[in-house]
Amino acid sequence: MDWWGWLILVVVLLVVLVAAVLVIQARRRRGGVIIGSKSPDRGERR
Amino acid sequence: MRLMRTSEITQRAVVTMAGEDIAQIKDVVYAADGGSVSGFTLAGRGLFAGPLKEFLPWAGVSALGADAVMVRDESVLASAPSILEGSGGSAGSAGDVLGSQVLTEEGIGLGTVHDVVVSVDVTGGEYCDVVGYEVEASEGLGTQGQMVLIPLPDTMAASGEHLMVPSSVKDFVGHDLAGFGAAVDRFRAHLEDSRP
Repeated sequence: MDWWGWLILVVVLLVVLVAAVLVIQARRRRGGVIIGSKSPDRGERR
Repeated sequence: MRLMRTSEITQRAVVTMAGEDIAQIKDVVYAADGGSVSGFTLAGRGLFAGPLKEFLPWAGVSALGADAVMVRDESVLASAPSILEGSGGSAGSAGDVLGSQVLTEEGIGLGTVHDVVVSVDVTGGEYCDVVGYEVEASEGLGTQGQMVLIPLPDTMAASGEHLMVPSSVKDFVGHDLAGFGAAVDRFRAHLEDSRP
């Protein structure tokens, strides 16, 4: 394969890698609602 | 008192009084005994940022605005409480109420949780309590597929997979947030009256 073929391959791999990281991090940042086990002490507020 | 969906809170920026954007809200954490919101797990800002280890206790929230959650400074952040360790609260979404099935005491499924409704007061009593679920109704509610709001009692039973509610909740179902506060009050008064 010519040098430019390798270059295109590396660029494509980098783009795929960055896209994958963005998707994974966006999923990890996605919010939810979790049940804890203890009520907060309202007297400590602020 | 203001009713809002937790989906309106998640992903909101956490900003200090100095104007520094330090994080964004990831998960809302509440206690099953009483439904009080104990705080929020956080995620970093920016495209490549993931969940943070810090936890924002409700006591550290100065204001819950339409566009940002205001805190005094970074010192109000705490390390994630032990209740979140292993639940995925700081690293994933295991134990998430969203998507859980709501069951009556008679074992009838009312639907799956799509969102959670909280009652917020940051001016007077300064509290944030879970008061209802927005569920995608199943046959048990007679309005299959519709999004409806069901009020919750003061003390609820919940494990994360199945959320238990009294059977009488079917008579207090709401369809929008306007007026849902009154439905919650009526439902809780009804439960109080029916106690032996």
